[in-house]
Amino acid sequence: MTRILLADDHTVMRNGLRLLLERQPGLKVVGEAADGRQAVDLAAAETPDVVIMDIAMPQLNGVEATRQIVNRNPSVAVVILSMHKDESYVIRSLKAGARAYLLKDSAEADLIAAIGAITEGKSFFSPAIRSLLKEDYMHQLDELDAEDSFELLTNREREVLQLVAEGKSNKEIAAVLNLSLYTVETHRTHILQKLNLHSAPELILYAVRKGIIS
Amino acid sequence: MPLSPRTGKWPGGRPLLLAGFGSLLLLMLAAGGYALGTLGQVRTSDLAERDTYLRRDHALDRVQTGIYQSAIIMRDYLLAPDEAAAAAQIARFDETRGQTDQALRECATLIDTTESPALRELQSELQVYWELLEYISRIPPQDRLVRGSEYLTNQVRQHRAELIRMVDQVDAISARQMAASDARMNETFARLRSRLVLIVALAVGMGLLLAGFTIWRTLRLEEELERRYREVLHTQQELADLSARLVSAQEEERRNISRELHDEVGQSLSALLMEAGNAAALVAPKDAHVRQHVESIKKLAEASVNIIRNMTLLLRPSMLDDFGLVPALEWQAREVSKRTGIRVQVAAAESAGELPDELKTCIYRVVQEALHNCARHAQARSVRVVVRQEESRIVLSVEDDGRGFDARRVRGLGLVGMEERVRHLGGAFQIRSTPGSGTKVDVELPLAS
Repeated sequence: MTRILLADDHTVMRNGLRLLLERQPGLKVVGEAADGRQAVDLAAAETPDVVIMDIAMPQLNGVEATRQIVNRNPSVAVVILSMHKDESYVIRSLKAGARAYLLKDSAEADLIAAIGAITEGKSFFSPAIRSLLKEDYMHQLDELDAEDSFELLTNREREVLQLVAEGKSNKEIAAVLNLSLYTVETHRTHILQKLNLHSAPELILYAVRKGIIS
Repeated sequence: MPLSPRTGKWPGGRPLLLAGFGSLLLLMLAAGGYALGTLGQVRTSDLAERDTYLRRDHALDRVQTGIYQSAIIMRDYLLAPDEAAAAAQIARFDETRGQTDQALRECATLIDTTESPALRELQSELQVYWELLEYISRIPPQDRLVRGSEYLTNQVRQHRAELIRMVDQVDAISARQMAASDARMNETFARLRSRLVLIVALAVGMGLLLAGFTIWRTLRLEEELERRYREVLHTQQELADLSARLVSAQEEERRNISRELHDEVGQSLSALLMEAGNAAALVAPKDAHVRQHVESIKKLAEASVNIIRNMTLLLRPSMLDDFGLVPALEWQAREVSKRTGIRVQVAAAESAGELPDELKTCIYRVVQEALHNCARHAQARSVRVVVRQEESRIVLSVEDDGRGFDARRVRGLGLVGMEERVRHLGGAFQIRSTPGSGTKVDVELPLAS
């Protein structure tokens, strides 16, 4: 049974989401918050597995609420469900600790799939977001006439990149690829250096842009 | 400060000044003319007086000479050797007598009437003298030498002395008259001097008054000018404030509409979409046409959500308020790139995200306008936007490689608006462009305000 907390300041939206989620077997809505602060409080009280979070909310916005919830309990998977369709919102949400980013207009189609993916430890993005990020990235590459730094990675590094992006821990990666923990860490450092990235969220974003994960 | 429609408090000031200076000039001209006229007059009368004096003196001399001469002629007559010579002397005597009388008459015309009694006395005395001398001519020839000489010695010589004394008297009168004439002249001069002194004093006084009035009026005008100038400055400031208030009110309005659209309309449409999905799930498989309707409702709602999203971003990008300047600039750059194909690079310090609201709004709008100009007019291929923070100011530059324009002459409403926004925040705005070599907009905004 996956326990879900809904955080959205629109009652109609919450009702719709509840209806959608509870049609699925194995999903249960354990609480509804009308603003960011309430969401943080309820997440602490109810310890849900998944929080479905809007960004534009009174008191505390969804990105900040996500940061506080994940800081307190890193095992909570936060799905951002927002109207905002720009990479600044996506990257900030990921940096705050969200695992999935969905557009509200595609919630009905993607929400169930997203919950499925994140409970398995993977990331998930609405197709529109995915293509947007990819498009922007390709556009930037075109503009800068830059070489795609993905070509710089070795095959082993590409394998590690995919597993990191899917949300696997270093230990899990070491087990899957049959490598030492130290070697995985070295690969990870090299990948970040070669791709000029600085954090796991950026790496996930990169992987989405490159179509390595979906 | 209210604008007063005063058009000069002293409408009569100018005519007054003109009349004042005009009459001062006239006064000086009149004084000069009067002085010259008087001098000329004095000179003429002086000449006439002197001429009269000379002629009078001359006539008196002739009278005196005539008196002496006639006595000598009569003596010669007495001593004449024959009758012919005696007759000649009588003729000479008559001639001398006529000339002397003539000279005395001339003298009478040249002397003042107040002195004529003395002259008349001289005239009658002279008649007596002539008669005395004539008596000699009537003495019979045989007694002539004895009686005549005795007569001449006793009667005539005595009488002649009397006459000469009278001539001297008349001479003295003439000299007195000359002195009186001199005194008249001196009086005229004194009058002239005192009048000139009066006129000059009048002119100086009037000049001082005029100068005082002119200075006072000039000071008044200067004051008025100063006041008008301050009014103009004040009005300009008011206009600038008004325009700044207008700009910030417009910005606030946009922010509110944008938020309202996003939070209310957008969210409601999203909920509608969700509910439509829920409804579709409840439709029985046999009711395919109902499902079709629900699907078209979803499509409409989706399209509306997209429209709302674009509208809100165009009104005021939410990143500007949610995350700050840099993400908003980057979004703007991506949008312009996508829409126009211009390569837009943004180099902005992350700290630029922590700016006061009106500063980041100002920078965002200036960049927006500049990029808009690049896309519409410049035919640029790439644009570089740089925002960096220096101690107590924010420095922004937007530089393109487009065709440029003459920045000294062309100044559209967009540029004016940018400049006004920057100036209102106490910043400096500069646009540099020459045809053919791109355009660079430079903005500096003070941080501590």
